[in-house]
Amino acid sequence: MIKGRGIFLATVLCIAGSLPLLVSPLPAQQPSDRAHQIGGKFMCMCGCNQVLSQCNHVGCTVSTSMLKEVDQALARGDSEDAITQAFVQEFGTKVYAEPPHSGFSLVAWSMPAVCLAIGLVLVLFVIRRWRKRPAHAVSSVASSSGISPEMLERARLRAARETQD
Amino acid sequence: MDVFGSFALLLAFVCAVYAFIGGIAAIRTRHPLLVKSTRQAGLATCGLIFLATLSLEYLFFSDNFSVAYVVAHSNRSLSPFYKVAALWAGQEGSLLFWSFLLAVYVFSALIAYRNKNGELMPYVGVVLAGVQIFFLTLNNFVASPFKALGVPGVNGAMDLVARGDGNGLNPLLQYPEMVIHPPNLYSGYTGFTIPFAFALGALLARYPGEKWIHLTRKWTMIAWGFQTAGILLGAHWAYAVLGWGGYWAWDPVENASLLPWLTGTAFLHSVMMQEKRGMMKVWNVWLVFCTFLLCILGTFLTRSGVVSSVHAFASSNIGNWFVGFIAIILLVCLTAYFKNRDYLKSENQLDSIVSRESSFLFNNLILLVSCVAVLSGTLFPVFSEWFTGDRISVGTPFFNKVNIPIGLLLLFLTGVGPLLAWRKTSLDSLKRNFGWPLLMGLVAGAIAFPLGVRGFYSLICLILCVFVASTITMEFYRGAKVIRARSGASFLASAVDLTMRNTRRYGGYIVHMGMVLIFIGIAGTAFNKDIQKEMQIDSSMQIGPYSLLLQNFDTKQEKNYTAERMIIEVTRDNKPVMMLYPERRIFPANQASGTMVAIYSTLKQDLYVVYAGQSPDTQAPVIHVYLNPLVKCIWFGGVVVVLGTLVALLPNRRAVLVLAAVQEPTRVKSMAGTLTPSPTLREGHD
Repeated sequence: MIKGRGIFLATVLCIAGSLPLLVSPLPAQQPSDRAHQIGGKFMCMCGCNQVLSQCNHVGCTVSTSMLKEVDQALARGDSEDAITQAFVQEFGTKVYAEPPHSGFSLVAWSMPAVCLAIGLVLVLFVIRRWRKRPAHAVSSVASSSGISPEMLERARLRAARETQD
Repeated sequence: MDVFGSFALLLAFVCAVYAFIGGIAAIRTRHPLLVKSTRQAGLATCGLIFLATLSLEYLFFSDNFSVAYVVAHSNRSLSPFYKVAALWAGQEGSLLFWSFLLAVYVFSALIAYRNKNGELMPYVGVVLAGVQIFFLTLNNFVASPFKALGVPGVNGAMDLVARGDGNGLNPLLQYPEMVIHPPNLYSGYTGFTIPFAFALGALLARYPGEKWIHLTRKWTMIAWGFQTAGILLGAHWAYAVLGWGGYWAWDPVENASLLPWLTGTAFLHSVMMQEKRGMMKVWNVWLVFCTFLLCILGTFLTRSGVVSSVHAFASSNIGNWFVGFIAIILLVCLTAYFKNRDYLKSENQLDSIVSRESSFLFNNLILLVSCVAVLSGTLFPVFSEWFTGDRISVGTPFFNKVNIPIGLLLLFLTGVGPLLAWRKTSLDSLKRNFGWPLLMGLVAGAIAFPLGVRGFYSLICLILCVFVASTITMEFYRGAKVIRARSGASFLASAVDLTMRNTRRYGGYIVHMGMVLIFIGIAGTAFNKDIQKEMQIDSSMQIGPYSLLLQNFDTKQEKNYTAERMIIEVTRDNKPVMMLYPERRIFPANQASGTMVAIYSTLKQDLYVVYAGQSPDTQAPVIHVYLNPLVKCIWFGGVVVVLGTLVALLPNRRAVLVLAAVQEPTRVKSMAGTLTPSPTLREGHD
């Protein structure tokens, strides 16, 4: 009985102790971390060409105020999209740290992949074409000198091995 | 002295024009005296540029504040060390410095080949003179560093004046690395002019065979080595001075230096295809052309103001000159190519897809894709403004997302390529060469994963780094083992002997090992930590294993600046490690300020401490501390890369005739006679 009461009391204390955590706002550090994370998606507008969350050069007041704006927006309950829209409206599209995945910006994202794909096709095409070419020089050498193809191949492989860079 | 400098530059321009026009006439008439006189004019151009550069340095050292450039970039209290660096601190001086370094290269090339390659050198001389004319035009008529300081007089004419003191050097440049970083980078940029001149000259002259490749190989490696050192020194400067905790921000100017490095690296690999197999002649010529064009494009980006950058010079209309020059070069290259393209016909033939040749093709593809990705990202803000009216920024996240997979592919090829045989690689050889390294890589991954290396890219990078390092180590081990068995020397001596017998091959491996170290350092970025905090005296903070105690916060007066500094004691496990003094310097001459980061660097990690100014609310000093793992690997890797390049530049200790060792002597003799023309079978050292 005493044991059961002890467990009951401990449970009540635990729940009572947890209540403030459930009802009180998140610790003061958290919105700042979130702001920092969202700041990674924007450029600092002081002209330093750095991402907002990374700009800390001496005397930069722009990054501080921009991060503060993010903080305030988060405190108001604004979504990330709403914060982005507000910044784009305030600073223009140059505030993006990376081009958005829509419209003309897709060109920037697709360019490397398209180049890689085209290049890959070209390289494979070139390899295929070069492989089809007969090795005239080697066969003529073999026939004129009377050396067996096996021996020539062996010597060729050895030479190739020993001359590799 | 300013008049002397101006006059030297003007005379250099005249000599360069003579070397250019006289050179064309010499090519047409083949008159020996004309050939000789144009060569002498080329040498005189270089000598006069040396004099002009020396006279500008003299103006700095004599504190001649009647010259506008000296006033803008120096002051009396500037240390002599930085007075040297003031030469390239601004637009005009740095363009003169470009001309100076180009003159060093041109002078060396003209002297080195004065009695050689008589058919080719007049063409090379004309191309070099053409490039010099462009830069001397800028030095003389667009951005002269010798402009006198003047004020409008009463009758409207300018009166010459002299100031008592100058504005001083930009504080960001008052750092030891800024004295060596720009010369290295510029030496890279200007150095690529020599292979370009030889490639274009050979194409115009229809110079036979691969000789121009042999002639320019070392020049290309020298330029590449300087470019690599310049890029890494710049990264270290950004890390130690800018105070944002990183070393590479994908800034347009940083990207501009990377572009020719990427194509230059591609050329250094693909050139072996032409040397050994007579393949890819068109590709190689265009790679050299593109590398030079990217050098000029990089200079244009830095100086035109077309893209915004903290490293850029003040925007000016000088960009139009560069656009014009790029257009002319492109036109000349295209004309020369279409006129003489039959000269570049190659006997491309591949035995197998699993061969060294294929790996070079893929290596070139990846390097070129990386170059396109960096270039398109750098210029995208400009293009987006043209097409949509809105300037869209492209920052670090984009470049990281695009370039990390490309870099890893390249790292993979770094391990695979050198171990594939020319022509064809057998399955047995693949197993023998890659079995152990692959296993080592996977084991490293299996160990790292439970230790906390969970990021996909970090883990792949680690596996690949171990794989590549193992392939290289095995190559050294196998070769050294053979030499040791024959000579009985120690293993280390055998490895050195092996390297010296084929410097290019083993120097290349050392370069690859350096790149592996750089990749390891970059992978460490995934584990960076940072904390920013207001500090009171005697308060402390913790980051990783380190505890930082603010002992004091004071101001110190130096000759050229005043510094606010934090005095911080670093402890680890309650044991003192060292004292750190992060500073903020204020330069009264130009009212500019700069940071001095304090770094405690170990092999494992850097404790990077920045004094981030005083809190506007409480006036308390704010500290920003970073814990950056493995950064030292990057700088150490850079040193290894440069060392490897130097090794590759050394001549081989001795050449070994491969065919002398083949077992069937009689038959081989006849084969040797038949196969002599093939460079692949001629020597074993190259």
